[in-house]
Amino acid sequence: MLKRRHFLGALGAASLGAGCSLRSQGPITIRFWNGFTGPDGRTMLRLVRRFNEANPDVSVLMQRMDWGTYWNKLFVAGLGGRAPEVFVLHTRTLLRFARAGFAAPLESVLGDFPTDDIDENVWAATKIDGKHYGLPLDVHAMGMYYNKKLFREAGLDPEKPPTNRDEFLNAIQKLKKPGKNGEPDQWGYVFTNAETCTYTFLNQFGGAPFNTDFSKCTLTNKRNIEALEFCRKLISDNLIPSPENFDSWIGFRQGRVGMVFEGIYMLADLEKQKDLEFGGAPVPQVSAEKAVWADSHNLCLKSGLEPRVQEAAWRFMRFLSDNSVEWAAGGQIPTRPSLRATPEFKKLTVPSAFATQIPFVKYQPQLPFIFEYLTEYNLAVEKILRGRASASDALGAAEKRINEIILRESVSPSAPNNGETK
Amino acid sequence: MRRNHWSGWLFAAPHLILFLVFVVGPLLFGLGLSFFRWDLLSTHPAGFVGTENYREALGDEYVYKALGATVKFVVLAVPTTLLLALLLAVGLNGVIEKRRGFWRSLIYLPHLLTVSVVGLLWRWFYNTEFGLFNAYLAPFGLKIPWLSDVAYAMPAIVLMTLWWTLGGPMLIFLAALQNVPAAYHEAASLDGASAPQTFFRITLPLLRPVLLFSMVMNIVGAFQVFGQVYMITRGGPELSTRTLVQYIYDTAFNNYRMGYASAISWLLFLVIAIFSAFQFRLMKERK
Repeated sequence: MLKRRHFLGALGAASLGAGCSLRSQGPITIRFWNGFTGPDGRTMLRLVRRFNEANPDVSVLMQRMDWGTYWNKLFVAGLGGRAPEVFVLHTRTLLRFARAGFAAPLESVLGDFPTDDIDENVWAATKIDGKHYGLPLDVHAMGMYYNKKLFREAGLDPEKPPTNRDEFLNAIQKLKKPGKNGEPDQWGYVFTNAETCTYTFLNQFGGAPFNTDFSKCTLTNKRNIEALEFCRKLISDNLIPSPENFDSWIGFRQGRVGMVFEGIYMLADLEKQKDLEFGGAPVPQVSAEKAVWADSHNLCLKSGLEPRVQEAAWRFMRFLSDNSVEWAAGGQIPTRPSLRATPEFKKLTVPSAFATQIPFVKYQPQLPFIFEYLTEYNLAVEKILRGRASASDALGAAEKRINEIILRESVSPSAPNNGETK
Repeated sequence: MRRNHWSGWLFAAPHLILFLVFVVGPLLFGLGLSFFRWDLLSTHPAGFVGTENYREALGDEYVYKALGATVKFVVLAVPTTLLLALLLAVGLNGVIEKRRGFWRSLIYLPHLLTVSVVGLLWRWFYNTEFGLFNAYLAPFGLKIPWLSDVAYAMPAIVLMTLWWTLGGPMLIFLAALQNVPAAYHEAASLDGASAPQTFFRITLPLLRPVLLFSMVMNIVGAFQVFGQVYMITRGGPELSTRTLVQYIYDTAFNNYRMGYASAISWLLFLVIAIFSAFQFRLMKERK
C-alpha cells in the first residue's frame, strides 16, 4: 500500500506545479464540483448562493462540467491532491473513489445529522467496508413516461397506465400502429437505454449478475437468461423495434412512442416540450419481483482536510441535504422521506409517482472494474436483443471474461508466482 | 560560426522546450509506465512487471478487434478522402475566380465545427427510426440501420468523416494546383495535348509531393481516429467500431489501468511509425 502511495505521490508532485495552499484569514473557500449542466445546475447554483449569503465565513465556489469530462478531471485532480473539498459522485462510482483514497468516510462529521431520515436502502448503498462515503442527495429512479394522447387514441385509459406484464403487453400491442408505406411508424415501447432497462427486467425476474460478495460473476444464472429472453422476445415478435443505442428518446419526444422507461432526470427535457401530453408512473412489474434501476447523486468530502475546512464543507453538505426539496424542482427526487412528505414535493406529480418505487430500487453492483463489467454486459445485451446470439451464449461469454477480470484483480503484480503467495 | 549555431537553437527554443515538456517527456514517461502494472483502483501496490503488459496486449482479443476496426477505418477513409479532395480541388480550379471563394468556403465550412457538434448532428441524421436520412429514404421503401448494424456502422462513420474533413486536403490541393505555372499548360496545349493528357502528364506529377505528404498525414491521423467514433457509436454496435485509441482511452480513463494502456499506446505508435517510415521512403525514392 505504501509503495502505491509513493508512486501516486510522485506523479502528483510532478503534475502539481503551482499547487499552493492559501490559508489566509478571509472566508474559507470550499470548491464544489459536479456534472449538473442541465436545469438541475441552475437549481444547484441558487442553493449555493443562498448558502453563501447565510454563511459569510464560507465561500462556496461551484464548478460544473459535463459528466464525461467531470470523471476524468476529478480523478486527475484527486491524483494530484487537488480534488475539490466537496464533490458529487454517483453511488455506482463511490467504491472507486473511496478505494483511490480521494473521498473521506463521513462517520466523523455526521454529528446529529438525522441519518434515519434517509431512505434506508439508499443510505446503505453508500456503505463501503462498513463506512459511509457519500451523503445521498437524491434517488434518480427509472420510471415510465407515457404519452397520454397516444393512449387515448389506442383506446387505453390515460389515467391507468399498465402495472403488470399483461397490461404492459396489451398496451404495447394496442399502441403499435403501421405507418404509411407499410413500415411500422408508431411503437408502444422502445428500449431507450438498453443497459438500465434490461437491468430493471433482470432484477424483476429475480436475477443478479454477481454472487453476494462479488467474488464470482453469475450472469448465466437461469433467471438472468429468462429476463433477457423476455426482452428479446418483444423484438423477435415484432412488438418493439430493435434497439438504437441512444436516440429512441427522440422518438418519444416526437410523439411516436407510447411508453419508455427512463430516469427522472429526463423530466426537464419533456417539460420543455409544450405539445407533448405525457404522464409518469412506476415501471410495470413484468415478473415476480418489484425492482427498478436507480442511481443517486452523493455529496462527498475530500479526504485529509484540516478540521475548520472540513467543518465548513460539512455545513455546506448538510445545508444542501436539508434543502433538497428545492433540488426536486430541478427534476430530482430527494432521498429524505420527511421532505417528500411536504406539500411542495407532493404537487410534483411525476417525481411523486417515481418516488413510490424507492423501497425497491436496484443500484448497479459496486465494483472497482464497473466499467469493464458494463462493457461486457452491454456487449452481451446488444447481441441478445439483436438476435445475434442466444441469451445463454452471450451471457456465458460475458461471465467468462468477467471472472477472468476478477482473477486479475485478485493477483498482486509484485508477486508473479502468485499461486504460492496464498 | 559558433555564434550562428547558438542563435539557431535560440530561435528553435520556444518550440523545442514545449515539445520536450509536453511531447517527448510524456512519451518517455508512458514508455516507462508500460513496464509497470499500475491499476489506480487496485488494492495491490504498483509494481514493475517487465514485458507483462505487452504480452497481455498481444493475447488480448479486444486489441485485435480494435486494430481491425482502426485498419478498416484507415482503408475506407484515406483513399476516398484523397481522391474526393483532389476531384473537388480540380473542379474548383476550373471555376471562375469570382465564384471560387464561395464554393471553397462552402466545402471547408464543416471543418470549422467541433467533433461534438458534428457527432450530435449526425447521430440524429443516422437514427434508424427517427433520423433524417431514413426519413428521406422512406418513400423508396428503404430503412437502413445506419449505426445499429455491424455492416453499416463503420462506413457510416467514414461518410460523416468525409463530410467533415474533406475541406482540409481540398484546400491544400487547390493551393498546389494554383502553383502549377500556367506556362506548362500553355506549352502543352501548343503541342496539341488533350486535357486528360495535360492532367496526367503535367499536373499530377507536379502534385505528387503534396499528394504523398497529405497521404502520410491522413494515414497517421486516421490511425488515431477517436472523436467521431466516440461521439457517434461509443464503439458499438458490439464493439465493432471501437478503435485502438478508444480502447486505450477506455483502458486508461475508465478502467484506470495506466500501465496496460501505455503498452497498447506504444504498440499503436509502433504501427504508425512503421507506416510513416515506409511512406517517407517512398517519397524519397520518387524524387
